[in-house]
This record gives sequence, structure tokens and C-alpha cells, in this order.
Amino acid sequence: MPGIDECLLEAMRLPGARGAALIDWTSGLALGTVGESPGGDQETAAAEAAEIARLAAEQHAFAPDDDPEAPAAADTELPVEDLIVSNRDSYHVLRFVGSSFDGSVFLHLWLARAEGNLALARIRLGEMAERLVLA
Amino acid sequence: MTVVRTTEPPRLPVRDKAAARARGWGGVSPMLTRLAAERATGVLVREHGTLHLAEGLVVQAESRHAPGLGALLTAHGTLAPEAWHQAVNEAADHHRVGRHLVDAGHLPLGALELCHLAALYDAAYFVLAPSSTPPRFRYGPVHWLGSVRPVPVEALERETLRRRDVLHRIWPHPGMDGIPLARTHLPGTPALTRRQLAVLEMVDGVRTATDIARALGHLAFHTLVDVRRLTAAGVVTTAAPARVQPPPGGTRIASDRGQPPPPDQPPTGHAQLPGRGRPPQGRGQPHRPDPAGADGYAPPVPAEPLPPDPHITLLKRLRDALEAL
Repeated sequence: MPGIDECLLEAMRLPGARGAALIDWTSGLALGTVGESPGGDQETAAAEAAEIARLAAEQHAFAPDDDPEAPAAADTELPVEDLIVSNRDSYHVLRFVGSSFDGSVFLHLWLARAEGNLALARIRLGEMAERLVLA
Repeated sequence: MTVVRTTEPPRLPVRDKAAARARGWGGVSPMLTRLAAERATGVLVREHGTLHLAEGLVVQAESRHAPGLGALLTAHGTLAPEAWHQAVNEAADHHRVGRHLVDAGHLPLGALELCHLAALYDAAYFVLAPSSTPPRFRYGPVHWLGSVRPVPVEALERETLRRRDVLHRIWPHPGMDGIPLARTHLPGTPALTRRQLAVLEMVDGVRTATDIARALGHLAFHTLVDVRRLTAAGVVTTAAPARVQPPPGGTRIASDRGQPPPPDQPPTGHAQLPGRGRPPQGRGQPHRPDPAGADGYAPPVPAEPLPPDPHITLLKRLRDALEAL
């Protein structure tokens, strides 16, 4: 039953991992960080990652089709599972964490492109996000 | 042309840490900075709530303006209310309610830490709001929740200041957080998120943002963000603007920006967003623990605010200086 730090340290064990953070996308607050921060500043990186996560989570275009109505159950359901941003030298994987209380939290993993395995990272992050809040 | 009808808030601000260091202290509460330096354990009582310290670190924050950890955990079924009460009854005396919840298998550690941090920063935002009464500190035992994930004072103060900037950038109206809200019923309502719709359904001309947060079991600061975004979109306004006297520094803003956009301009897009691209302290007022600079949160404003009395101002400056010693 991992806490925030154990979860982030586990993410850092993925091949090519440079940094990992758990971020609230409404406020832009990093609830935990391990390793390097993209751009060198943890607070700036968290705020910028929070921007793109919020945009993805709120746009109707990215929401799944099979979502008839039921806004009552909507609090725990995430419209988007993850986001992948790639550049010349690295990947960023943002994985949304479903939580039953009123949270808006995601995991941000920064991977070196040469060593990183995007498919593996995506699967592992999904498992970590689930284990973090489910017993 | 396709119009994207969403309300995009301005970018999340990042605080200038060099400037904060240059001031020598966090700029929120000199007393708190001192308590952190001496690694104090006890409870700091401020006008809008309390901060619980253990060894100079903040372990819990409580404010009447923000839902507590128990309310957040039980509101959406994360935790059964009985399990919460049982844990409080059995483990409060030993100051390890949080640990008890995890050990008994009621709650994964990650969920407890997430919710605890969210509640702590949420309440601390209100506790550290500018106050008009002097803070008090009682040395004493650790909070009954126990130490789940302590937060350094510096991090808490910086985040509180940053959150004021977040709200200010979305819609610069510091007076609106504590007063009843009403819908505007203007044509051209933009597309809203499910969270915003839930908040909007609770807007009835009586409830304040805090009431809505409590009713929905939402974090109070997150609700303030929702409300300000709805206000910026022209969907929500303050219910009784006549009763509201913005603080002296906010008068200009209230007059030229406090009104919803006219109906012939869709309240969307970048041009209409107030405060976009402006520096964090766009009103030219530095953040200080000064009641007049009630940026981000203001307590309910009396109907007839007193003019700034030079004697009171002097006394407040003396108080701040003494606290900083």
C-alpha cells in the first residue's frame, strides 16, 4: 500500500526516468516530486504541466463517447486517462489519478527519450495511479 | 468560423522566489516564520482558523471556510462516516488517527496523504488570509490526526501567495469570495465542465462560495476557482452588489472589471479574460500581511467600511514589526 513518495520512487525506477511529480491541476501545486524537474524549477514545471492537464481534462473533444449523462457519478470518473508529450530528447507522460474525494491530481513522469520505453511507462504509470488511491 | 465556446482561465502563476527571499521572510505571517525557526509544537490561532505545528512543520490546518479532512473523505464515499468516527474515537488520544485509518484497512496510504495535503493547503489558504486580529500561539501537543505528511512553513506560505495570484488572474475581485452568489442568465452561456455545472446548480442568490464547497464536499479553494471562472464567463455574479464595498485598493477594479461582460460580447476567448498576461501583483500592491490588501480572500465586509484611520494603521505596522522581531 504505497504512499506518495513510494509511488514516485517506483516511477523513477522505470528505464530512462529523469523526474516524477504528483500535481494538482486546479491549483498547480506539486504534492510530491522526485528526481529532476523539467526546466530546472519544480514550481514552474508543476504549474505548466497543470495547465496542459487541465485543458485536456476539460475539453469535451477528448472525453469518451460512452458517457451518456449521470453527472452525479462524474466526480470520480476521469474523462482522460493520460497525455503524452514528446520532444527531441524526452517524453512526458501525464497520468490522471482517479480519486473519490474532490481531487484533481495527476502523475507527471519525465523520461529520457534514448532510454525510455513509452509503452512500458504508460502501463506502469496506470498501475501506480490506481494503487495510489485503491487499497 | 468555428467558435470554441469554453472559458479558458489565464495561466497558473509562478511566484518569484528571488523576490520572496529578498524580503527575508515569507511575507504572510512573521510569527509563523519565527515558530518554524524555533521548531515549535502547538497551535497557531488566527482570525480565520488554526495551524497545527509539530517541530516547526505544519501538520494540520483548520478553517471554518474550508471543509475538514473528515468531511472530504466521507462526502463522496471514500470513507464510511462510521469508520471516520471510530478512528477519531479510538486514536485521537494517541494523536494517530491518520495512521489508524490506514492500519485498519479503511483507507490506502496514498489516498490519505492526497486528501490530507489537499485539505491542509485548502484550509491554510484561508487561515493565512489577511486578518485584523493578532495571532496567538499555544504550545502544546501534536494534533489528534497525527503527523501524516508535514509541510514546511515556507512551502505553505509560498503556495498560499501563489493561490491568491491564481484567483486574482482569473477574476480580480477580492471581495467576492465571502458573499452570496447569483446567476446572471445572460445569453450565450459558454460550455461548462461538469464541476462547474455542479457549482452552478448550487448558486441560488444565498449561498457563498464556501457554502457551495461545503454542500458539495468540494475543496474550498477549488470552488473559489470554479466560481471565479464562472464569473469571468459572465455566468455568475455577486448577489447583492449594493452591499459590497470593495476594499480601497479594489475600487478601481470593481468599477471597470467587476461587471460581467456585456451580452453582445461572448464572454470567451483570450481578449475578454481579465488579468491575462498581467504580472502576478497586477494592482501594484505588494503582498503584505495587511488587511487592506485583502487579495484573494476577504472576510465578509461590513456594510459601512471604516475609512483607514492613521492611528490604526500605525498600530498595525507596530504589531507587524513586533511580530517580526
